[in-house]
Amino acid sequence: MVTTLLFVIFAGLAIGCAIAMVAQRNPLYSAISLVGVFISLASLYVMLAAPFIAAVQVIVYAGAIMVLVIFVIMLLNVEEEERPSRRLRFLLPAAVILAAVLIAEVIFVLWSVQTSLYTPGSNVSDTGLTSSIGIGLFTTYLLPFEITSILLLMAIVGAMSLARRAGVMTVTSRVVPGAQVLAMDIADPRGVSDETPVATATTAQAARLLGVESKQDSNEQG
Amino acid sequence: MGPQLSWYLALSAVLFTIGVVGVIIKRNVIGMFMCIELMLNAVNLTFVGFSSYFRDVTGQLFVFIVMTVAAAEAAVGLGIIIAIFRNRESLDVDDASILRL
Repeated sequence: MVTTLLFVIFAGLAIGCAIAMVAQRNPLYSAISLVGVFISLASLYVMLAAPFIAAVQVIVYAGAIMVLVIFVIMLLNVEEEERPSRRLRFLLPAAVILAAVLIAEVIFVLWSVQTSLYTPGSNVSDTGLTSSIGIGLFTTYLLPFEITSILLLMAIVGAMSLARRAGVMTVTSRVVPGAQVLAMDIADPRGVSDETPVATATTAQAARLLGVESKQDSNEQG
Repeated sequence: MGPQLSWYLALSAVLFTIGVVGVIIKRNVIGMFMCIELMLNAVNLTFVGFSSYFRDVTGQLFVFIVMTVAAAEAAVGLGIIIAIFRNRESLDVDDASILRL
């Protein structure tokens, strides 16, 4: 049957890409393999009559999250792992044994699912449609939804404060507009030499006082 | 006869196991991070499979929330990775074994 064939194709693609991701030494290649896993999983979601989740999978996972990961890989200029470390020697068999235990556990669960007595209802259902997901999300599960938005806010603040470049900076050092602006308490007070208050009327005047030549000024002069 | 629920569960189990093995044997922080994403996706597949089997939308709502958590984890985790790299000049987990930057 067609669905069986499609399942075999996409499941094989997912498992192959996952193994390639783990076996790959170059992080960039692993990231691309992970995108393959995400896309084949999205195809499986379509076969499971969940088109909304499939679309979100492609947009959020294969789009946003993987772009973030690849951006960080390229930002940090990660090289391939070169040396085979001492740690791997006993970790590899340990990983295989743990994986075997996990698979055995899952086979037990699968067996109990197959022998259960539940029979699904009619074939007609609107389970995966966007409207039914929206109704569920905004009625029964409104509180988890709101908590999720707070979680995202926390993630924004946390990521910004973690990735900020902390460092001591003198008050008189130049701060170019568009560069990272540091909090005043990080600034080193020893660098203060002239504390005379200065009043300026325009931005261009202030820029000239600070020694920052704005592009507009140089255009006007030249 | 199309694909059964148990097929999807088996696929999900295999993917999750590959993710666990990856987290154990990888030394690169970003590699471990991607293996965790793989495990989250395996669990998502289980949720969607059960949801479509029982004709209940709750499983797909859970997938939605898991994706949000994964996005938040990606943002914060990559922030931590950048902070560690800035201080240690390395992404090896063995080099970052003490709990301070």
